[in-house]
Amino acid sequence: MPALGTFLLLAAFVACAYAIAASIAGARRRSRSLVESGIGAFHLITALMTAASGVIVYAFVSNDYSIKYVQRYSDAALPLPYKIASYWGGLDGSVMFWVFLLGVFGSIAVYTNRERYRELIPWVVAVIAATEMFFLLLMVVHNNPFSTFLTPAPADGQGLNPLLQNFYMAIHPPSLYIGLVAMTIPFAFCIAALITGHLDDAWLRAVRRWTMVGWLSLSFGLTLGMLWAYEELGWGGYWGWDPVENAGLLPWFTATAFLHSAMVQERRGMLRVWNVTLVILTFFLTIFATFMTRSGIVQSVHAFGEDRELARLFTIFMAVILTGSFGLVFYRLPLLRSRNGLDSWVSREAAFLANNWILLFAAFFVLFATMFPTLSEAVMGERLTVGPPFFNKWMLPIGLILLALTGVGPLLAWRKSTVVNLIDQFLGPVVFALLVAGALVAFGVRVWSSGICFALCAFVFGTIAQEFIRGGEVRRAATGSDRLTAMIGLVGRSKRRYGGYIVHVGIAVMFLGFAGEGFKQEGQAVLRPGEELTVGHFTVRHDALRVTSDAQKQMITGHISVLEDGKLLGTMQPAKWFFAKREQEPTTEVAIRRGFAEDLYIVLAGYDAAEGSATYAVTLNPLVNWIWFGFAILAAGTLLAMVPERTFAFATAKVPANAATAAMVLVLLLIPAGARAQAPSADEKARLYKELQGELMCTCSCRRPLNDCPMEPNCHGLDTQRAKLNKFIDAGMNRDQVVAAFVADHGSQEVLMRPIDTGFNRLAWLFPYVVGFSGALMALFVARRLSRREADAEPPGPRAGDSDLDSRLDHELRDLD
Amino acid sequence: MTAKPLKIGATVLVVLLALTGLLFATLREDTQYYKHVDEVMAQPAAWHGKRLQLHGHVADIEKKRNSLEYRFNVGSNGQVVQARYTGIVPDTFKEGSEVVLTGTLGPDGFDVDRNGVMAKCPSKYEPAPAGSSLPPAGG
Repeated sequence: MPALGTFLLLAAFVACAYAIAASIAGARRRSRSLVESGIGAFHLITALMTAASGVIVYAFVSNDYSIKYVQRYSDAALPLPYKIASYWGGLDGSVMFWVFLLGVFGSIAVYTNRERYRELIPWVVAVIAATEMFFLLLMVVHNNPFSTFLTPAPADGQGLNPLLQNFYMAIHPPSLYIGLVAMTIPFAFCIAALITGHLDDAWLRAVRRWTMVGWLSLSFGLTLGMLWAYEELGWGGYWGWDPVENAGLLPWFTATAFLHSAMVQERRGMLRVWNVTLVILTFFLTIFATFMTRSGIVQSVHAFGEDRELARLFTIFMAVILTGSFGLVFYRLPLLRSRNGLDSWVSREAAFLANNWILLFAAFFVLFATMFPTLSEAVMGERLTVGPPFFNKWMLPIGLILLALTGVGPLLAWRKSTVVNLIDQFLGPVVFALLVAGALVAFGVRVWSSGICFALCAFVFGTIAQEFIRGGEVRRAATGSDRLTAMIGLVGRSKRRYGGYIVHVGIAVMFLGFAGEGFKQEGQAVLRPGEELTVGHFTVRHDALRVTSDAQKQMITGHISVLEDGKLLGTMQPAKWFFAKREQEPTTEVAIRRGFAEDLYIVLAGYDAAEGSATYAVTLNPLVNWIWFGFAILAAGTLLAMVPERTFAFATAKVPANAATAAMVLVLLLIPAGARAQAPSADEKARLYKELQGELMCTCSCRRPLNDCPMEPNCHGLDTQRAKLNKFIDAGMNRDQVVAAFVADHGSQEVLMRPIDTGFNRLAWLFPYVVGFSGALMALFVARRLSRREADAEPPGPRAGDSDLDSRLDHELRDLD
Repeated sequence: MTAKPLKIGATVLVVLLALTGLLFATLREDTQYYKHVDEVMAQPAAWHGKRLQLHGHVADIEKKRNSLEYRFNVGSNGQVVQARYTGIVPDTFKEGSEVVLTGTLGPDGFDVDRNGVMAKCPSKYEPAPAGSSLPPAGG
């Protein structure tokens, strides 16, 4: 097996070389067949990498410990999903995963664009294949994930780091990688455009969509990373300016800048050198991020470790990228001249420009501060470090200025805003922001940074609401439909614009969450059973310390009652888990009581098993959940802006007036009906009763399930437990509710035969979302089909009215913005 | 040469200078020297009152019962300094573990900041010694 894997990697390396050579030769000689063969080789790389991934996943699943990498990151007791996730758990595998993803993305990009950008494609293939070749080279000469033991293979693996055995951690790296990898595609198109000299704005469209794909998955990856840090690391926060986190943030800044300035180029033909530079920088920063986390050049909690040879190879590659790309930009400067100049500083272009400069400065600052220890050591010979306070001091104002610009941008007109339309546009949002600020002062909320942030968020919401309402008003007047239908039609008609606004709403909501950090409350104490600690309006009481174990680990659990004003709110169970193979590195299982307003976050920081006392760190994190919620809005907005223009054509072409409102009322009516249908039937009850007997423990100290108690038939524990089970099921509870009720009654999960595995619980939780998402995809597909048919069937006649409407709407909208 | 590029150049220069100035002004407040214990203890008086990140190995941990007050020694290359800390320590903070402490050095020892203890993850996996830190079962 390992030999096959190594062979596949070598074959992919050779295929890369061929793809590059054939594409370049084909492009220069204008030979269609050579180009086609290059594309063929390019798809072959993807196929080979898929096969190699299959081999390594198979090795993990089948516990093939003759492969060093598998032995290092897995063991027999590891649950299956984590075995698969171990693929990208270490350095060598993550590099391979990188190439695999790049292959998949590259193939999709080349396939979908092969007709539209025929001139560019050979160069795109060459650039992507060259990047793949570099990473393959790393694997071939330095980090082969398939290298085997020369001595007899160990019987078992060393196991995956317990910190990584977390649901978020299994999906956080892939989403971050997808983000980083997807940025290669815009870069490839950009280089292709520079080489061929086809620098009209057409390439920008292809590049923009792919940047959005990368941007969305980067945002997703960063958010998941925050969630992971928050839930698993147990220090009460979500972002610590760790070098590895920063590495993912850098390309995010430049990609965000690009998405804005690309708009300026499309509308006004300006900033062309700037856009090319941003695309190159973004790609460079993705490579730099990989370099930073893998070469050990900066010290971090979760970097992969020091590796001089790797650092050298990466440095060469990065030098080639920078000199090559900027050399090309310089060479093509005459073709990149702006068509227009900046007319006025009070214009949308200027706002975008300001936003770009600030984002770029943010990227520069984060890079500088992250590299500062390394830099100071190199320059002054003395290692100086900077901590999170330094980052916060700078990023706080930067963030607030960006937030303000988010609100200002849409209110300014392209080219030049007059004083009259400035007043007209700004009055509403500014008044709203001032009202919110006034209310904050009146309620005695601290006004500094967090208060300003709240007011600015209000300003952004005001801006966007005004945009939606005014746009909807215009459309309503034109189409005669009701308000809601008009607004939805509006969104369907210019998805990029309104999708962008929705993204802004998401960002502002996330900022609300960040501002909550300013009102954090903390408490730490050693508590003996029965003792209490009060933080904010919550009081936590330490009830008991319990020790339990399962096949993988030993668990120390603190049992806590949470009280508010003397009333019992519920129980919480923070824990420490000692995995059998890594007893020196226990993991912290944080207990979180989530809420819209705040999270109560409890960590078991230490314990004394003899005395039953425990050390708790209790944190009150206000508004934290708004960050995750804001991300959901952001994702929805981005997806909306990303789908092809025609998808919603049917929605805007031929909807009866009031359709959207009617549909929504219908949906609202249907929901309660669906909910009622969920009560279990008698059959289900019987089945549930039988099933749960196998899962709940008898309390007569036999430690057997209810249906297998040796003391039967005269066992006191058995009867009470069965009676309880019957009662719960008759009350109409479903399986999870019954389990939860038992856990609540006993104060711990000990009553269950198997402890609830959080990983799988979360997978189950994910299921409805997956179903929902695929449903949405299907709807999109059907919508596309429908709209296409309609477009084909409809004679051009009735469309005339539509274009009339279009021009009217455009005209009126132009007045607005 | 028109005036426009000149104006732009001047603006960019001024803004850059201002930002760099600000950057270094704030840097001075927020930087910490990253030192090993022996480097500092060679000349302790020179480091009094300065903010440090102190790198060394932990020994002789004393903890007051039912409190979060710790006293321990950190050392490297034969030099040792006593450190005081109140708060929660990471799981990897143990006898012999490698730590980086943020705080200030005084005449009577090193005062660690709140949340200023960072224990390094053991970079290589080594089998746990017999009688490890696991609590007595059933306790």
